[in-house]
Parts: sequence; C-alpha cells; structure tokens
Amino acid sequence: MPSLQTFTDIYRYRFVLANLVGKDLKAMYRNMALGFLWSLLNPLVLVVVLSLVWTIFMGAGRDFPSLVLVALIPWNFFSYCLTGCSGAIRNNVSLIKKVSFPRQILPVSIILTHLVHFAIQSLLIVLVLVLFPPPGKVLGLQLLWLPVLVALEIGLVVGSGLLVAGLNVLYRDVQYITDSLLTILFWASPVLWSAGPESGLADWGWLRYAYFLNPLAGILEGFRDVLYFGRPPAGGPLLAALAVTLCIGYLGVRSFWRHEREFADLI
Amino acid sequence: MGPVIRLAGVTKAYRLVHQRPFLARELWRRLLQKPSRTETFTALRDVSFEIERGEAVGVIGTNGSGKSTLLSLIARTSYPTAGTVEVEGRVGPLLELGAGFHPDLTGRENIFLNASLLGLSRAEVETRLESIIDYSGIRTFIDSPIQTYSTGMTARLGFSVVAHTDPDILLVDEVFAVGDADFQQRCEETIRGMIARGATLFLVSHDMRVVREICSKVIWIEEGRVREIGDPAKVVERYLHSAQPVGAG
Repeated sequence: MPSLQTFTDIYRYRFVLANLVGKDLKAMYRNMALGFLWSLLNPLVLVVVLSLVWTIFMGAGRDFPSLVLVALIPWNFFSYCLTGCSGAIRNNVSLIKKVSFPRQILPVSIILTHLVHFAIQSLLIVLVLVLFPPPGKVLGLQLLWLPVLVALEIGLVVGSGLLVAGLNVLYRDVQYITDSLLTILFWASPVLWSAGPESGLADWGWLRYAYFLNPLAGILEGFRDVLYFGRPPAGGPLLAALAVTLCIGYLGVRSFWRHEREFADLI
Repeated sequence: MGPVIRLAGVTKAYRLVHQRPFLARELWRRLLQKPSRTETFTALRDVSFEIERGEAVGVIGTNGSGKSTLLSLIARTSYPTAGTVEVEGRVGPLLELGAGFHPDLTGRENIFLNASLLGLSRAEVETRLESIIDYSGIRTFIDSPIQTYSTGMTARLGFSVVAHTDPDILLVDEVFAVGDADFQQRCEETIRGMIARGATLFLVSHDMRVVREICSKVIWIEEGRVREIGDPAKVVERYLHSAQPVGAG
C-alpha cells in the first residue's frame, strides 16, 4: 500500500521533521529583534488597512476587523503552505540528490512550520475579537468545531501541498500556476466578504454549488460561523469541503508517490 | 556472509529533457492524444556485480562513463530503469560534504539536522555530539552560523557527521579533493579504520594513487558497461594504458 507508507514514513522520520521545522523557524527569526512578533505584523497591517478602507468607503460595521480576521488567518495558513510546498523539492536539490529519505518529509515540514505560525497568529484573532466584539456569542459549545475545521484544513493543505510539490519538479509552470490560482482563490473564497445565510446566497442559483466546490468556502465560512456568528458551521458546505479535500488528497498522495523516485533525476 | 551490495542486470536511462515541459502544454497534448517525443540517454547498461562485506571497491572510468549514476543508485537517491539494486545496511554518503547544511543555522544545529537525515535518533546524536565536534576540529566556531565557515570547515564538519553514523557502506565521491593536506590525510585514516572494522567502501575517484592504495577491488566502467573487475594494480594499469585520461596518475 503506497499511500499508507507515505504516512507511516512521516512518523518514522519525526526526529528529522522536528529538526527541519526547527531549522525553518530559527532561520526565519534568528536575525530579527522582534522574533515571533513579525509573524503577527503582516496580518495586523493587512487588517488595519482593510478595516480603514472598508469602514470609511464602504460603510462596513464596527466589527469588520473581527469579520475579516477569523477567515484571513486560516486563509494565510493555506496560502503560505501552498507557496512553500511548491518549492519544497526544487529548493533542496543537494539534499534530494545526495541523501536518501522519504521525500514527503520536505513538504510536510513546511506545513508544520506554517502550522506553528498559524497557532501564533491565532492569538491575534483572540485580541481582535475582544477589541471588536462580533454580533454572536463566541464563548460557547460551538468552539468544539474548531479542531474539526483545523484538521480539515490540514488535510486540504497536505493533499494540495504534495500535489504542487511533485508537479513543480515535473513541469516548470506549476509555480506560476500556483501563484495565480492562489490570487483567484483569495477572491473566490469568503475572506473579505461573507456568503453566509445573511448575504442572500440563495438567490445565486447554480453558482451557489460552484461556490462550495471550493473547499476553502466551507472551511472559511465554518471558521466565521464559529468565531464570529457564534454558531456551529453549516453541514452541507462542510461535507462538500470534506469530499473535495479527500479527492485532492488522493490525487496529491498518488501523484507524489508515483514520481518521487524520479525527483533526483529531474531536478 | 552474503554480499552487501548486489546489482543484477541494472540499466539506467534518463529522459533527455532539454527544458522542463510546461504543465499547460502537456495537458493540451494529452487532451488531443498526441504522442510524446522523448529521447533517452542510457547511463548504465546491464551492469551486474556483487560486493562482499568489508571490501574496498574503487570505481574508475572517464567522465560520463556512469560512475556517479552508479553511486546514486547505491545511495538510493535514484532508481534503476531495469534490473535490481540490493543494498544491505546503513549507507554513509560522502558525496558532497555538507549536503543539506543550512547556512543560517549554527554548526551544532546542523549536526542535529544532518545526522537525523542520515538516520540517527535524537539519543544517538546527543551521545555522539562531543565526539563529532572534536573530530571536526572547529569547536571554537561550533555555535556560529555555517555561512561564516570556510569551504574546508564545512567539509570537515560534514565528514565528521557521516563518520559518526556508523555506516555499513561508505560511498565516497572524490572527497579527498576538498580540504587541506592534513584533513585529507585524516579522512583517509578514518576511512581505513572503518574498513578495518568491517565497513564496505565504494569509492569513485580519478586519483589512481588513492585507488591503488586503499582498494581491494576495482571496477572499470566504460560507456555505461562494466569493462573489467578485479585486482586494483592490474585494472588501473590497463585503464591508464587504454584511455590516457587527462590528469590521471
């Protein structure tokens, strides 16, 4: 079973993974006086700018920073991971050519590194939720959905990360396709806007189904339901996201496994 | 005792790709069901040999004869197109000293990273750490980032890490060319010591002195085929006469 071994190897090489994640985090923060605060600065600046523009020109409510940030932080996790994974194999030529180890360790270590950033940036969500209280009651049982949402997003990121990491070795336009796709996805996903029941989504007709084919739609709406509206996520979109995630996961693991033995010959 | 390295009918062909293809074009091609045109380059043809535990094998041949391909197959970073490669035990790749070192990390941190990639557990690295640092001879700089190291210092540390992984099979590709005379001599001594303790050496080199002195068996490769296997002195002699390679001897 190729796909099973793909995952057991990850556990067998957990010490390597720990060292690779440590390497990425240290290399990123070593020369910076403010250390981990830097990973908060980027989303903070974005939210401040967006909030100013949206409240002044578009008449958004006072709680707009909360509305955006609960989806922006999970979006950043997805986007950073995919950008990182697309270079995971190609940027480690000497390792791939000289040392034998399960290749999926490289993209997985990148994902784990960004998971650490995700955790740090989540502190920002707490801060903003306190400063700009959302309409819903956030402290409630629906918070139990958070681990489910995070797990679903990790699954999505592993599948699509393996897919782009492998394809980028085979084809040289994959990096650019990934970048462009991320831009499209950003606007197609409910980060700066919301498509919840309040938005009149029912009037969209068939577009509604196309919208939820994007697994990030269900996931990001889920985060917003739980953290902003204070309610459990809608079941249908979440199931759609799960189904698409499983498909992408299958494609990602299968294509990576089929080509990993050629990586050293191709890069 | 059986062989630790066994190659049977190994052929390795590379797809000759002048430039990596575009995904967009490839999808279009598949959609129209156009046949793909790929040229291949055969680096190794029907290579078979067995190496016993404790042997010191030198591989010689002109540039492009397939020596490095052979190394990558035994290192298991690359896989044969046909035939089988069987390798038993832990491989210590001395192919590019310091491969996988990260410039921003300190020497100490890189020891952990590199040793773990080579298959050592956390406990194993911790017990060998002092010995690795001592052997490398760069204790003063061990907590400075690798980017401040000279090429020679990086090579010393890289060699020291691999030497401490207790490899059953040592793969060596011209490492004697790096570092100063003192370092080269210590490399050679360490490698001899490991062979004496039962490790197997697989050495690719253009330095016929090293091949003659260290190796107990020589494989001469020409155009991807094994031309001769046998006694180092004789094979090296015939190789030098046939090829007159530049810079040999």
